[in-house]
Parts: sequence; C-alpha cells; structure tokens
Amino acid sequence: MNAHAGTLRGKERYRSGVMEYKRMGYWEPDYVPKDTDVIAMFRVTPQDGVDPIEASAAVAGESSTATWTVVWTDRLTAAEKYRAKCYRVDEVPGAPGQYFAYIAYDLDLFEPGSISNLSASIIGNVFGFKPLKARRLEDMRFPVAYVKTFQGPATGIVVERERLDKFGRPLLGATIKPKLGLSGRNYGRVVYEALKGGLDFTKDDENINSQPFMHWRDRFLYCMEAVNRAQAASGEIKGTYLNVTAATMEDMYERAEFARELGSVVVMIDLVIGYTAIQSMAKWARRNDMILHLHRAGHSTYTRQKSHGVSFRIIAKWMRLAGVDHIHAGTVVGKLEGDPNTTRGYYDICREDFNPMKLEHGIFFDQSWASLNKLMPVASGGIHAGQMHQLLDLLGEDVVLQFGGGTIGHPMGIAAGATANRVALEAMILARNEGRDYLHEGPEILAKAAANCTPLKAALEVWKDVSFNYQSTDTPDFVPTALAAV
Amino acid sequence: MRLTQGCFSFLPDLTDDQIYKQVQYCLANGWAVNIEFTDDPHPRNTYWEMWGLPMFDLSDAAGVMMELAECRRVYGDRYIRISGFDSSHGWESVRISFLVNRPAQEPYFALERQEVAGRVVRYATRLCPSREATP
Amino acid sequence: MLDLQCANNSSLCGGAASPPSGFDLRKEAEAAGITETLRELEHELIGLKPVKSRVRQIASLLLIERIRQRAGLVSSPPTLHMSFTGNPGTGKTTVALRMAKILHGLGFVRRGQVISVTRDDLVGQYIGHTAPKTKEILKKAMGGVLFIDEAYYLHRPDNERDYGQEAIEILLQVMENQREDLVVILAGYGERMTNFFASNPGFRSRIAHHIEFPDYSEAELLLISELMLKERGYSFSAAAREAFVNYIALRMTQPFFSNARSIRNAVDRIRLRQADRLVSDLDRMLEIKDLETIDSSDVLASRVFSASPPGEGREPSERTS
Repeated sequence: MNAHAGTLRGKERYRSGVMEYKRMGYWEPDYVPKDTDVIAMFRVTPQDGVDPIEASAAVAGESSTATWTVVWTDRLTAAEKYRAKCYRVDEVPGAPGQYFAYIAYDLDLFEPGSISNLSASIIGNVFGFKPLKARRLEDMRFPVAYVKTFQGPATGIVVERERLDKFGRPLLGATIKPKLGLSGRNYGRVVYEALKGGLDFTKDDENINSQPFMHWRDRFLYCMEAVNRAQAASGEIKGTYLNVTAATMEDMYERAEFARELGSVVVMIDLVIGYTAIQSMAKWARRNDMILHLHRAGHSTYTRQKSHGVSFRIIAKWMRLAGVDHIHAGTVVGKLEGDPNTTRGYYDICREDFNPMKLEHGIFFDQSWASLNKLMPVASGGIHAGQMHQLLDLLGEDVVLQFGGGTIGHPMGIAAGATANRVALEAMILARNEGRDYLHEGPEILAKAAANCTPLKAALEVWKDVSFNYQSTDTPDFVPTALAAV
Repeated sequence: MRLTQGCFSFLPDLTDDQIYKQVQYCLANGWAVNIEFTDDPHPRNTYWEMWGLPMFDLSDAAGVMMELAECRRVYGDRYIRISGFDSSHGWESVRISFLVNRPAQEPYFALERQEVAGRVVRYATRLCPSREATP
Repeated sequence: MLDLQCANNSSLCGGAASPPSGFDLRKEAEAAGITETLRELEHELIGLKPVKSRVRQIASLLLIERIRQRAGLVSSPPTLHMSFTGNPGTGKTTVALRMAKILHGLGFVRRGQVISVTRDDLVGQYIGHTAPKTKEILKKAMGGVLFIDEAYYLHRPDNERDYGQEAIEILLQVMENQREDLVVILAGYGERMTNFFASNPGFRSRIAHHIEFPDYSEAELLLISELMLKERGYSFSAAAREAFVNYIALRMTQPFFSNARSIRNAVDRIRLRQADRLVSDLDRMLEIKDLETIDSSDVLASRVFSASPPGEGREPSERTS
C-alpha cells in the first residue's frame, strides 16, 4: 500500500486552492528518516471512503506546516525541510479499518527541552481533524540530540536509593485513606503508623491539596512530625509524598519550599498541572535535592482506549524527558487497567538506558536514553501482600509497591498492615536471591514467613481471594491478549 | 530498638547459611562484595568503616564468610553489613545491602525538637546507648 | 557449615532423607561427567599412561566415596588435597584442570575454578604483607582448586624468618579446617617436592593423593610435535620429520629441557623459520602445499644442532638461529 502518491513540485505545488495532502509533500514513501528526526507513530482510523494514505498525510501535514489550503508564504521558507513526512502506512493486524502511520519530523521543528512545544506539535491540532474517525499517538522515537536537551529525572533511581539507603528490594508505600476528609492531625497518625510499621513512603492522594477539612500547611507539619518519629523509631530514612499541586505555579513553589524547609525528601505533583508546570517542578527538584513523585491523575481519559488518544507509553517517555522521579505505571494484577506485556513496555521505558524495538510490548522503535536518569515506576491500586511473588516477577526490583488499602485496611491496624507487607517482601527477595522458583513457590514462601509474623498471617487470610481479573483494553497488537496469571 | 536498615531486617537475623546464599547471589551477578561495620547506625551515617577492600573476582562465598568471621571476631559488638556493588554503566552503585551482625544490646534514637516560628519544628535524631544496658 | 555441596545439580545430589537401596554406577559416573572428563584427558594428553591410570583410580575412589556418603556409610568430608610431581612440561597443569572438573562433577568442590599461583602470589615483601596476600588468593580459590606450582619455594630452610613460613601456616590451617571449601594441589619437581614434604610434615599428612608425572619418551614427544603442528595446520615433510627425531634426541640431553613445553617452543620457532624461508623468495608463486609443509631446513637451522657446548642450548637464547 506504500506506493508513491506523486508529490507535485515547483509551480504546480503552489497553485492557489485546495490540494490533496499526499500531493503536497506530506507523503514520501521513499523517505529514509534521519538519525536526528523525531518519529511519531499514529494509529489512524479514516472516515469511510477516505484513503488511508491521504488520511496519514493529513496527519503529517496538520502536525507540521500545513493548513487546509495552499499558502504562497510557504515559499518564503525551506518548506520541504519543515514538512513532516509520512513515510510508511501499515494495516493494523486484526483491526480492519485501522492503520499505523509513521511520520518523521525534522529536529528544527521543536524547541529544545520543551514538552509543551513537542506536544503542541504532535497532538496539538489534529485530533479533531474531520476526515479521521479516530486517531491515537502510539509511540515516538526521540533522537539522542533531542533527548540531550532535557534534564531528565531530577534524582533518578540510583541516587534515590543512595539517598534513602535502601537497596536490593522494591520500595514500599501506601496512599493515605480515606482520600478525603481526614484532619491534618488524624492524617499524620496514619502516616506515622504506616512508616513505623515498615513502609518506606506514604503518599497523599491526587486530590489532596488544600481543602476545608485540611489545609496544606497543617498537613505538611503533622506529616513531617510523623516521618521524623518513624525515622527515629526504626533508624531508617522515611518519606511522605507531600502533594504540592495547586492552582498556580506560585502556590506550588510556596508549598514545595515549605516541604523542603521541613526536611522532606520527596514532594509530589499531579499530571493535570500540565507539562510546563511539571518541567518547572522538575527543575526545582533538581535544584533542591528533592525526589519528585508524579501521580498520573487524568491520564486514563486519553490513554485507555485503543483507537483514540495518546498511549501511556508516550506519557512515560515525555515524563522521563520532563524530569520526574516517580511515575505510576500500572500493577498488572491490581484494580486498574494494565495488560502485562503493555505494562512491561512502560516499565522498560522508565528504567532502561536503551529500549530495543519490541512489538509484543508495544515498543515500536529503538530508543536510546543517552544516560538520562532512570525513572522509578510506581505500582499502586488494589494490590496486597499475598501477591508479592507475582508483583516481584512482573515488576522487578526497581519499583515502588504501594499498598494503600492493603496497609490501612489490615484487621490488626495500620502498623501491622505495613509490617505484613514488609515481611512478605523481604521473604520473597531472600527466596529469589537464594535461587528458589519464587513465582511458583510464592504462597509457600509467604506461609512460612507468616509463621513468624502474625500480621502477615492475618493479611494472607483476609485478602486471600482478592484479584481483579478483567480483560485489558489497551493490549499490544502483535500478540494474543493475555490475562494476568493470578 | 531493632534497627531495620538493610534488605532483610524484618526477618529473623540471617543464619550463616542464609548469608552465604545472599553473598553467592552477589557473586553470581558479578558484584564486588564489601563488609562494613559501625557503632553509629544513624540513618544519615553513610560511611561505615570498611573491613578491608571490597572483594572483587571471587567465585565462592566461602571467601567472604572467612572475612566475616574475622570481622565478627574483632567487632562482634557492632553493626556489620554486607553490600554488593555493581560497577556496570548506569548503576555504579550498591545493589544490595543487609545487616549480618548486631550488638547484643542495640542503641536507640531520641528525637529532639526545636520549636520555631509558625509551628515549625526542627528535628534532630540523636543516637543513645541501649536502654537495657543501664543497670 | 554450608549445605551447598551439590552445586551442579548432578543426580548425585539427591535428598539426604532416606538413602536409596541401589546405585546404577554407569549412570552415576555419566551424570557426574566423569566418563566424559576421562575421555577428554585421554585425547588431550599423549602418553602419560601411569598418570592417566592414577587419575582414573582417584576418580573411581571419589565416585564410590560420594555414593557411600549418600548411602550413609561415611559422614566426614574426605581429604582431597593432592601433590603432582614431575619435571616441567609433563602435563601437571592440564591434569589439574581435569581434576577440578572431576571434583566439581562429583560435588566435592562447589564451583570448579582453578587458581594457579606460585610463591610470589602468596608471600609478601615486608611484615604484615603476607597474610592478606595469601588470604586474597585463598578467597579467590574458595569453591575450587588452588594449584601451587613449585610449592617448595614457599619454604626457605636457610632463612628462619622468611615470610614464606607465614603463608605455609595459613595454608595448612585452611587445608585442615575448610576441606569442603577448597582443594589444594601442590606441584613441582619430584626430588625437591620430596625434600619439601620431609621438612614440612604438616603438608605431607594433609595430602591424600600423590601423582607422579614421568618424562615423555622420544616417540611420545614426536607424536606431541605432530599433534601441535596439525592443530596449527602444518605437517612435517618426510625429511623434516627425520630431522625432528634427531632434534628431540639432542635436545633431551641439553639443559633446561622441559618436555612438552620445549616441544611447543621448538614448533613455534620452526614456524617462524618456515615463514622466513618462504618470504625470502618473493618472486615465486606459493602453493597451498608450500604453506602447510615444514621442510627439513626449517628444523635443521636450530641451534640445537650447532656444535655449541651443553649449556648454550638454553631456551631463551635459542629463539634466533
């Protein structure tokens, strides 16, 4: 299907009026992308009767130089260089009417180090474009020259571990529940119990900012009392993600400065604050030796459906460039969307220095990260101690496992819930390192650890049958959809 | 107070057999193994004293166990930890760290508070000798 | 202390719960890789009949020992330290590598690596230097075989304060107390090893197996040379072969003769001379046969044939001739 459409040249090309995109130079099947090109891959679903090549060329056009009609002012520029070039269109396996369109963009089209500029180009205008029923940004390849214009994670996995003095195991966290309504004083109690019980982190939820029941300053003060108490009680470094998300940048800086003044090792922001604010906070975090946690609030509105929107792997890539240190990236076995292979792709994007193309994980391009820091993925939502072997197998060691309900909902109390999680984790790491087949012997390993640990015994009993085994919607196109093994 | 630094502090103290297996895991990964000791386990005390140089290029954990036995003989009344160091690009840092010895009576940490304006508290964590040790 | 004897998943590593009632010896030997290792040894080393039969004996003993352990007939770990005596170039290092493989296959050592050292690796230059040096080597050898070549240099009878004594003491202690962790092989010339053991009874009593490596016969040395040439893609012409027979006879009478090692050096120099001969005539067309063939002149140019008195045939000065 990748036949040449016959780009018009010279005088013909600039005759006033309306012209097919594919004849304006946005469809160049012979084009070989340069090492310095940014490449984007879209899933396009043309309206009935629309030629997929023309639809793809339109995407290239509308995300770069084109408008709906020919303009003579193109001729005042090196227009051929600035035109994005769709160079390949493939049918999506098993999805009639959908096409993968590969589009190359010259590096000069982008401002260095700006996710806002990048996203304004790539997803700015074209998602509402009428000739397409739906359109999804699946994956991107960034040239090293462009990657190097970004700061990358403020702290990174290695330095985060060094700063916390925690090595060789996933970190443990919990989101304070209930999400809304606790006073600062009561909220701090939950933080203290969870950290003292054995967690490394606790976390504000995405919508905990500064509400009538608890203003931000009050929360910060009580939380830091709890963190310091737990630190002294255990001899370990502890942290709580203080959510500094606020209405304005000025407010966010004020809250972040206060968290720093109180000695917090970590602050938190929500994805909804926008790319510019995220990059500002990443720079602030780098300047202030602060770990920056990102809650991906809102992402499912555009990442979940396969035919339209932006894949989460794109968000993960943008966020690694933008410079956050933690990002929620799915649990596979928990309550939120997450196909095992697709999730594996997200984790690789966060943690590897080089991602080879791997279609079965939804990775369409080789991507070098050029020594940009590694981004710590966070697994949160509906997970519990009884799944420890599966979590370790699926997610690996460099991850924060967040057991919110699985800590605070423990029948013997919050500290007991935290202890149960920590004991389960350490027992599993011990067994894995000893070379045991921990995935299959997992329940046995947990049962044995529980013999010395009543809280773990109780946790295994309460949540023994809990699993969320639903079909995922966002699955790779190149393997049969798999259910998580539970 | 039971110090819970390191990878396995919530489990019963590791036996020599268990330590051997963890060290062998480090060696199998090509990591250098380091033994360190201290009488100051403050959470911000990064630099414990090194028991000799990190051990590179060992095949079997028995060599490390030999050094650990010697270190315990001399510093059995202190904290001793073993760590595995990965020199590969992108890590160049510790990959695992766990306690292998505790003093018979562990110290504890007192939390000191200094109240300043705006309800802010400045905290200092201070090491104190074991409560049990006082007659 | 450690229940990791069985590092390589051989079938010999069965559970200790209840000993099986019968043992299939062939299967046991094959599972431990002994059959294969002995076959390798047979192909790798020419001659050395007495050595091979000793190795076979020891392997059999170890196999039976292992089975007896499993049957619950013995409990304490056996002493496995060995001494290899013989002149240089008689295959001691090669046999040590194979022995490590046998020990590993049977689970008597956990990893099977061979760390080969001499006095300089173990003994320091000043006070406090030796113990860490020896321990460093021991740590690397744990789980495998420590091969100490010319072990008698550790002992300097003329100097009571020699640091070698410190290394000896550490070695003896580890050889006694950590028999499960490593096997030590002491190697060197026969006579000097005998003296060494005489003045260090501690070593003698801890050595379980002695293997003597005889010198190669002239016929064996010729076979070795032909094998080496074949491995490198050469062969003797009939005349060259005859010349090399003479070479061996002469070389053996000269000082610093070291069996297979001298033959390897001779073969290397013969290749040099062949290349030199070919290149000296740039105008001729070479055929494959020319490239492969060693001529008698390549052999006869050796200084071994010149009338030089004994003593000048020493290895280092022989490289040009």
